[in-house]
Amino acid sequence: MDIGVLIQILVWGIYAGCIYILLAIGLNLIFGVMKVVNFAHGELLMLGAYAAFWIYTFSSINPYLIVPLSMLLIAILGIFIERLCFRPIMGTGKLNEIFLSLGLIYLFQNLVAFLWSTNSRYIRSPYGEVVVHIGAIKLPLDYLIIIIVTIVFLIAFQLFMKKTTTGRAMRATSQNREAAALMGINVERMDMLSFALGSALAAAAGSLWLISGQMANPYMGAIPAIKAFAVVIIGGLGSIPGAIIAGMTLGIAENVVPYFMQALVAVFGYEMSFTGWKDTIAFLILIIVLILRPTGIFGERGE
Amino acid sequence: MKLGRLSIKAYLGIVSLILAVLIPLILGISHYLLTVLILMLVFIMYASAWNLLALSGQGSLGHAAFFGIGGYTSAIIANSLGISPFATILAGGFFAAFIGVLIGLTCVRLREWFLAMVTFGFAIIVHTVTTELSWLTGGWDGIPAKKLIPVTIPNYILYEYYLVLLITVIVIAIIYLIMKSKIGLALEAIRENELEAKVMGINVTKYKLMAFAVSAFFTGIAGALEIHHFGYITPEVYGIDISFWPIIYCISGGLLTIEGPILGTILITLLDESLKNFGWTYERYILIGLILILVVRFLPKGFVSIPEKIKSKLRSHS
Amino acid sequence: MRKYGILVTVVIVSLLLAISLGQLAGAESEADEIKIGLVAPLTGGASTTGTDMWESAVLAADEINAAGGVNVNGVNMQITLVKGDTETSREGGVKVVTKLITEDEVDILVGGFSSGITSADQVVAAEHKVPFIITGASSPTITHRTDIDTSYFFHHCPTTDDYGESTILFVDEIVKPEIYEQFDFPADRPLRLAVLYQDSAYGVGVYDGIKKTIENYNLNMEVVAEEKFKMSETDFRTTLTVIKAAEPDVVYPAAFLNEQTLIVSQGMRDVSLNTIYLSVECNDDPDYYTGVERWGEYSIQESRFGPYAIPSGPLQDAVVKFRDDFEAKWGAPPSMMGASTYEGVYIAAEAVKDAGTRDKGAVRDALAGIEMTQMVEAMKDGVITFTPDYRESKFELYMQQLIWDETVGETRPKIVWPDSVKETDFVLPDWYEPGSAPTPEEPGFEAVFAIAGLLAVAYLVLRRQK
Repeated sequence: MDIGVLIQILVWGIYAGCIYILLAIGLNLIFGVMKVVNFAHGELLMLGAYAAFWIYTFSSINPYLIVPLSMLLIAILGIFIERLCFRPIMGTGKLNEIFLSLGLIYLFQNLVAFLWSTNSRYIRSPYGEVVVHIGAIKLPLDYLIIIIVTIVFLIAFQLFMKKTTTGRAMRATSQNREAAALMGINVERMDMLSFALGSALAAAAGSLWLISGQMANPYMGAIPAIKAFAVVIIGGLGSIPGAIIAGMTLGIAENVVPYFMQALVAVFGYEMSFTGWKDTIAFLILIIVLILRPTGIFGERGE
Repeated sequence: MKLGRLSIKAYLGIVSLILAVLIPLILGISHYLLTVLILMLVFIMYASAWNLLALSGQGSLGHAAFFGIGGYTSAIIANSLGISPFATILAGGFFAAFIGVLIGLTCVRLREWFLAMVTFGFAIIVHTVTTELSWLTGGWDGIPAKKLIPVTIPNYILYEYYLVLLITVIVIAIIYLIMKSKIGLALEAIRENELEAKVMGINVTKYKLMAFAVSAFFTGIAGALEIHHFGYITPEVYGIDISFWPIIYCISGGLLTIEGPILGTILITLLDESLKNFGWTYERYILIGLILILVVRFLPKGFVSIPEKIKSKLRSHS
Repeated sequence: MRKYGILVTVVIVSLLLAISLGQLAGAESEADEIKIGLVAPLTGGASTTGTDMWESAVLAADEINAAGGVNVNGVNMQITLVKGDTETSREGGVKVVTKLITEDEVDILVGGFSSGITSADQVVAAEHKVPFIITGASSPTITHRTDIDTSYFFHHCPTTDDYGESTILFVDEIVKPEIYEQFDFPADRPLRLAVLYQDSAYGVGVYDGIKKTIENYNLNMEVVAEEKFKMSETDFRTTLTVIKAAEPDVVYPAAFLNEQTLIVSQGMRDVSLNTIYLSVECNDDPDYYTGVERWGEYSIQESRFGPYAIPSGPLQDAVVKFRDDFEAKWGAPPSMMGASTYEGVYIAAEAVKDAGTRDKGAVRDALAGIEMTQMVEAMKDGVITFTPDYRESKFELYMQQLIWDETVGETRPKIVWPDSVKETDFVLPDWYEPGSAPTPEEPGFEAVFAIAGLLAVAYLVLRRQK
């Protein structure tokens, strides 16, 4: 395996990492503010992809312009989910959140399958055949756009959290809910906002994924969501920079590690393919990290 | 008061047991009916074992790993040593418990969400390992497993049903005893507040590991029983659905009670089978998703709490 | 009082349960009908395929009944189909096959999809000695296994061994000479083949079939890369990058439709792996042509029944008729699994006719000796018959190449092999890039890299912990 191949693989890892980061940041935000984990986050990604698909089918405007629309739609859905499902059970035990999410997963996956069948749906990007040359690497333009869009989202998100009153209020709520409430911050509004924002980011991930040549089907959200959750855990619950670093690391690791492992066993004279182990490797990393540090690498102590 | 409560539960248990024993006699020896009932019993066992782990505040999303490990261990030992499945089922349970302790060791220090993820990932890892060890497990093609009772015996399915029923009753009884014993109280204390439990002098790690071991043990037994009933095992046994079913059964029936998983398994299976007859497909799962959400939201103690709910409603009216 | 209330409720619930389950039972067998149980995944993950199987079976049964039914020893019997939904799960499969056999008392079973599920419900069929024509599970283990009596199982669909064999033979016979001529390769240079297979019974089976073929026919081919991927994987870019680095002449993915579409489009577009992609028959589906778009141009598909290409020769009319009838009845064209299930019902009817009775042992014997003219899928020697050793029917699999069709804006398959049914010649595209032996690299380089990487990770983690 030469360096050129390695760099190329690295790029694919970064691309995968972008999707994980968008999902993980949403999860993290919701957790920070509400102390609730939505295991059905991947279903929001799936619904975001479907929203993008249907808007595209009926309007056929440039798919990248659809992303904000899809984000808006899913944000509204997120508000409903927060109001109807998560708010009433807040504080009744963490197991209940897991069970509720499980119900949401069953509900959304099968509702979509029922309404729109399990057929794969796709969007054709107008830049599908444009390839950019960066040094020795050939990169289709769509990937570049996705990486740039993700960075823009991250910067905008960070600015929002740091510079705006609402963003500061959100951060205050996530640091100390009671104190924030005493300071006159409407914490319930913050809950709603964080859920909407998290859902919108998931929808962005879903739509971007679809445009870059993935296919939408009712079950597409499950694996990325679980990986995003692993990212959140590795990065530490509530830590945004942690999520970014861990997301990138996981994206790269699950693409590169199989080849290191292949090379490693080759030293001992075995030939074995580890590419089918992608998910397994992601979870092995998760378990190893948790054994070493039960609160995640960047996790703060306690909650 | 307490005594009265206990006796009525026991009373109920005995009546349903008598009914379970009589069903084949009332309805005749129907191969299909008995197959459905055997699978139901297996899942009652499985759901009860899952419930025991939840009692310690640990919600596993990957119990299919233990279900499958129990099945594979039992099948492999029975095949290679040529002994009867009766002995190997226990071996399946013990090996599952052993693995359960190992994974429990990683989990004891973790919070609920982390534990859910680790167990979920663990099922995926076990799945991969099983398919890779094809010299032992037959890889993706799977391996045959001996039937619990040889099919050459006339009406073997009836004996199989009574055997599984007997094992289920024993398992439920043991789980009941554990729940009512000091161990059960300790687990409850840990679930309610781990720190306080520690202060009270409860060895949290020991009890959590014990819950993992016992839960994995009975799950392994249930898995072994299922595959010895099927006569064949493939890696499909590690499916995500297999991990999720016991959770659905427990929550809808009533979490953390002895009768919850039993009632939940019976009612949901019944619902599922009858909706299937209407030709419902995805609608069935949509409904199950809705039931889950509604139960968590409005009926956190599950179906078993319905009589009490009605009772308190009536009382508040009068 | 209250206690009794609860008690009564429980008793009533249990009784209802018993009664409702009991009512599922008890269908009476009519004296003059042949009951065929159709085992298919009508719900769950594979429901699309299952529905196709059921619809095809209904079409076959309706045709047979409209023509007067089956003449069994002088009595004209109608065919009754009984639906058996496996729910794409082992539990569902075992339950429904038990129900079909013991409650509905079917005379014969047709269908079966997914080897994992079929291997569990087979046990029930073997125990009751019910003939089972398996039309959807591709693993050869289905009839090769020895733990149960498989003599009642008849495999009427190609196995993963068959897929691998025809595809590799085609590559050796047609693709290889074309490449070697154009690039002036010496004849002793082995053809460089890369395999990318789904980590499942299906993918592993195809890969085994490839290896067996290369060995059995002593072909001058070398597998330069073997990579596998998890079922329903969507990101193949890394894997394809590594495959490209191994410099293959042809790439053979053993994948399902969604995966194949992504492999080919990501390979051509993102990784510039400009090579000949081979594919397994399940991708001969309208959705594939729409999904793969221009990227699929010139790729190769193995097939036996498809939506667009029709093998020339004696089958042509039958295929057109079947397709039109099916579309008229169900509003969409039939699929490959539908075709073999359609034939499966006819085979079942023929076997009962030959046996002259519905007795299961006699029907089994009739199936073992059956010789029917091929129907809508090309068979070896034009005859549907089961091999004496493992009771597999042998299909005449054909290979097609996807050619761009400007009028529909999609690619369309053209049959290129074997000669008996071919429409056109195989074309090597002008953008095709063959592989060449990579330059020998420094040994142990990757290992140093790997160990350094692991050490770095360990160091980081440990440092953080402090």
